[in-house]
Amino acid sequence: MVVLGQFADGLERDVTGRSAFGVSDSGLAAVDAEGLLRALADGEVEMSAVVGEQSAKTTVRVEGASERRPFSFQRDIGRILTRHGCNTSDCHGGVRGQGGFKLSLQTLIPRDDYKWIIEGGTFKVLTDEQDEPPQPRINREDPAQSPLLLKPTGKVAHGGGKRFEVGSGDYETILNWIKDGAPFGEEDGGSGALITRIEVFPEEVVLDRQGRWQLLVTAVFSDGRREDLTGEVRYASNNTVVADVTAGGVVEALRTGETSVMVRAAGHVASARIGVIAEPLAEYPPAPPPRNFIDEHTFAKMRKFNLAPAGLSSDEEFLRRVCLDVCGMLPPPGRVREFLADPDPDKRDKLIEDLLSSPQYNDFWIYRFGDLFRVAYTPQRQMDTTWSYFEWMRNAIIQNHPYDRIARERIAWEGTRGPLAHAYKIQLMRTPEAIAAEQTRVFHGIRIDCAKCHNHPFEAWTQDQYWGLAAFYSQLTVMSITTARFAGDGMLLDFPEGMGERSNGRTVTHPRTKESVRPAFLDGGLLTGAERENPRMRLAEWMTAPSNPYFAKAAVNRMWGWFFGRGIVDPVDDFRSSNPPTHPELLDALARDFVEHGYDIKHLIRTIVQSRTYQMSSSINATNRDDRINFSRAVPRRIESPVLLDAISDATGTPQPPVYHKVIGGGPAPVGTRVVQMIPDLLPSQFLDVFGRNNRHALPIPHEIGTVAQGLHMLAGDTFNERISREGGRSARLLESGADDQAVIEDLYLATLSRFPSDKERSVVGELIASGPSREESVQSLTWALICSREFGYNH
Amino acid sequence: MRRSACSTCGGGNLGRRDFLRVGSLSLLGLGLNHYLQASEALAAAGATGSGGQRKAEACILLWLEGGPSHVDTWDPKPNSNFKPIATNVDGIQVSELLPLTARHMDKIALVRSIQSKGVNHPQASYYTLTGHEHENAVKFPSFASIVTKELGPRNDLHPYMLVPMPWEDDFFDYQDGFMSAFIGSQYDPMVLPDPSKEEFNVPDLRLPKSITKEVIDHRRSFLQAVDEAFRAKEQLADFDKMDAASQRALSMLMSPAVKKAFDMSEESEQTKDAYGRTRVGQSALIARRLVEHGCRFVTASGWVDAQWDTHGDNDKRLRDNLAPQMDRSLAALLEDLDQRGLLETTVVLVMGEFGRTPDINPGGGRDHWPNCWSLAVAGGGIRGGQVIGASDEKGGEVADRLLSVGDVYATVYQALGIDHTKTYTNPIGRPVYIANNLEDKQGQPIPELL
Repeated sequence: MVVLGQFADGLERDVTGRSAFGVSDSGLAAVDAEGLLRALADGEVEMSAVVGEQSAKTTVRVEGASERRPFSFQRDIGRILTRHGCNTSDCHGGVRGQGGFKLSLQTLIPRDDYKWIIEGGTFKVLTDEQDEPPQPRINREDPAQSPLLLKPTGKVAHGGGKRFEVGSGDYETILNWIKDGAPFGEEDGGSGALITRIEVFPEEVVLDRQGRWQLLVTAVFSDGRREDLTGEVRYASNNTVVADVTAGGVVEALRTGETSVMVRAAGHVASARIGVIAEPLAEYPPAPPPRNFIDEHTFAKMRKFNLAPAGLSSDEEFLRRVCLDVCGMLPPPGRVREFLADPDPDKRDKLIEDLLSSPQYNDFWIYRFGDLFRVAYTPQRQMDTTWSYFEWMRNAIIQNHPYDRIARERIAWEGTRGPLAHAYKIQLMRTPEAIAAEQTRVFHGIRIDCAKCHNHPFEAWTQDQYWGLAAFYSQLTVMSITTARFAGDGMLLDFPEGMGERSNGRTVTHPRTKESVRPAFLDGGLLTGAERENPRMRLAEWMTAPSNPYFAKAAVNRMWGWFFGRGIVDPVDDFRSSNPPTHPELLDALARDFVEHGYDIKHLIRTIVQSRTYQMSSSINATNRDDRINFSRAVPRRIESPVLLDAISDATGTPQPPVYHKVIGGGPAPVGTRVVQMIPDLLPSQFLDVFGRNNRHALPIPHEIGTVAQGLHMLAGDTFNERISREGGRSARLLESGADDQAVIEDLYLATLSRFPSDKERSVVGELIASGPSREESVQSLTWALICSREFGYNH
Repeated sequence: MRRSACSTCGGGNLGRRDFLRVGSLSLLGLGLNHYLQASEALAAAGATGSGGQRKAEACILLWLEGGPSHVDTWDPKPNSNFKPIATNVDGIQVSELLPLTARHMDKIALVRSIQSKGVNHPQASYYTLTGHEHENAVKFPSFASIVTKELGPRNDLHPYMLVPMPWEDDFFDYQDGFMSAFIGSQYDPMVLPDPSKEEFNVPDLRLPKSITKEVIDHRRSFLQAVDEAFRAKEQLADFDKMDAASQRALSMLMSPAVKKAFDMSEESEQTKDAYGRTRVGQSALIARRLVEHGCRFVTASGWVDAQWDTHGDNDKRLRDNLAPQMDRSLAALLEDLDQRGLLETTVVLVMGEFGRTPDINPGGGRDHWPNCWSLAVAGGGIRGGQVIGASDEKGGEVADRLLSVGDVYATVYQALGIDHTKTYTNPIGRPVYIANNLEDKQGQPIPELL
């Protein structure tokens, strides 16, 4: 039992330790000083808690108090192994186990654990064969001499040290189990019900720096029954600098910040978000009116976490940000003047609609999704398939195809044209399992790759699930192309109807069991007879179904990450129980809205950029300076390099068509071509080499910022030196125009930073222009400084 | 049609792309003396660890892109059409294709029982360059990046260079093998253009003439004025990094030592001839130059388009083109290093991504063969003039002493004073051996070599 107090400063605090407990009928139940209630007989009982002058009551019904639960290996032995950390990933739960003894992670697979304990043996990645004779971990003749008891009690040397005492409750449980013949017991503990999930109460805790809070953990069974597990699970804080947690589940605040506490029970994981706040604000400012549901969620959390939201962005701030985020470009200076002068109260919404229907939107999102779906040149240089894939991508964005349709096409396209033929890098992604893992990462936000060789070290993904997924792609094969032009090159093909391959039932082989694997969905579902005709189409349908628990969430989270520089789950493609979302309700709401609106990408973008949360200013107040995860201010984000290169061209007035690589004929692209319109892989550009190139051949990694090469390129490279002095460029035109220094400064500020210079800037920069060796040099140097500045390189 | 048996080898009609990546160095802002002190301190630390007494300071990898036929080079066999010849070490023979190198066998140790993983070029290159199988999800740092990290920079010069870009047509499929993965982009290579070209010039290392120190100062004053408001408000962690990088870039641009390291005109015509006036030869030459000027690791390739991938016409290609270039450049490098007193402090490692099939295929070629192959290692205190391990009669399988590249890494680490038992922890918390053997266990130094 946990008792919560509502305090005058707005915080809720755990007051269990200060409470006195009582029950209305001591014949039915007893309560101890810590508030732990024990059932004695069936009936209804009222429980009360008193703290000072405050009191609270709750009613408890006791049923089946006299029944004894039948034994279950998973529950009764598994929970001991889990609670004492025996089966964590850095101990026996690791991939190969530890010291020749292997357990599944958190009793995920009790049948395996049982076998390893009873018969001995260990896990090998590629085979079920054993090197050495297996050593059983129990001793049936002399149960007290079982390694399973000698090791954790420190009676014999144990790398993991002493985990429990001889004679302790857990010791006796194991000893008695072995004495009873070490049965596996019922899979479900005999009740006919399995644990379907565990729940933590509360899911979100806000503490002040001295705060402590008792978590409650409940198992929920498939028959709806619930059972207290608070004392039976393993707790761990994801960030022990911010808050720690005791073995009994009491969270202790340490310093201001936010983290999660992971709760692991046999086979299940749950988490609670923990916020540690400084002094609660004496007067929390009135929340701004929400524009849409996004704001309701973000503001509620800010309120709870004692973060005061920044004000509304200025028009300059908003204009630059939304143009970069929706169209990947800076607003032209004329548009800045116009927008700032426009008195229309709806001008932001109108601007958003203008941007969403602009050609630049199309270019930018073809580029964005091109990164995601790896629209890259093949090393085989079959350019027609590259272009056909690019055209598919282009068409999908221009026609604003629903995202689920795009996904289905990507997953299940057949034949040798369009997304399929080119979609998979055959050099590095040539196997069914590599493709399946990629699609799972992209469309479900899950990194399942670890499960290729062994059950995932931290998560509930098993090797069988991985290979079951891979089997969907078993019909794909690498074929040698024998035409003269592509002699020796390989190409990834599937076998459409009529080629006879499908009916031959090509399969993938499980690396350990060496058995051929049938396609199985992540939830374990198998294909029925007729569905086996085209397994990839069925997979596409399953992966994109509105009922799929991952698809919509992964999509909206990725989109959110593009607009805020951070996902609600972050990294955006790393959904796992140990990496919980910062705003789970918001994530659900966005996903629901996305599904309800037919997976309309433009709708999703509109919803995000219209929100007050997106339109927040970047200004800093007393509470939000260090906030990176609650969106209480707009945190500046580095502009990605292709967009930055286009911005430099625009700002310096030196449009420079990118150059094609030799492989596609060489020479410059048509006048007016922007970098984001290109496929970046083979685009020759020293700037991209230095500032980061979107490598569509490898897992995306953030481009490094602040390298010496970047410093060198700014000082000595063409992009920065030649552009500022080029004939016909902005600097040259300004010099020729006869504009005075202040007009030059104003124009350059508008073109680069999308704002007017401040009075101070006008005067300091004006003096610097006058101090230079020549006006020409000064104007060029100012232009150089503006495009090298932090303010220019960031979206804020 | 020379690749008829190799379904995954690229076609090859691309030209090169200039590619430069320089990471920020870990000892930003310190002068040369500080580097030297730091590096001495490191050496001292190495000497007390299991690394033992360190002799070597740097490593050059001659990378034989495509995978050389071992039975036609280091491990002569009856099933090669080339005869074995004697070397300057009694009892050690190599193929007649390597007459110049044979005279330096006293400096070279051959390992003839290497087994590796990966049958196709990208996977195999990744394996031999990192000691790990390629995974899409989890990347491992290259051997070169690890050496760079463990030894640290010696001066203003970027400590790890790649010259020129290998696999340049398809570099994206190969680059992971050369990169730092999770240990930090400052341990990525700086990639140099082809040094055999008349116009050889490292991008961004030369200021345009019009930009004097005075102009730079003026520009920096503008930058300060422009950035003031934004900086006053935002204190992002990256800002310090960017400031340090630009400071360092400026000192590099102003440093005569850095310019000198790349200045091939300082090499005599005679030296250039000795290495061979080819991409391969000049890449080996600049590798020596870079090590001399402070680099820790240079990977020199210069082979074009997986040249060693002799699926067809194996013998002719080896005889007319491949072996002479390698023989000449390797012999010249060993001699040159020796004469300059650098051989004692520089490990030279020669290998490709696998060996080739013992049997000749119908097209007169040899195909990919990771089961058993040879590599050569010299310098840096490695004891030359010996052969480690043996292959079977045809060079098809390991007959004696199965070894992996991880064992060779461990050996080179010891020579460099790096503790070979080290592990790094990757981003998902998994410990990774810096020397990883075939069974994903810790690689062991080869005792005879040290």
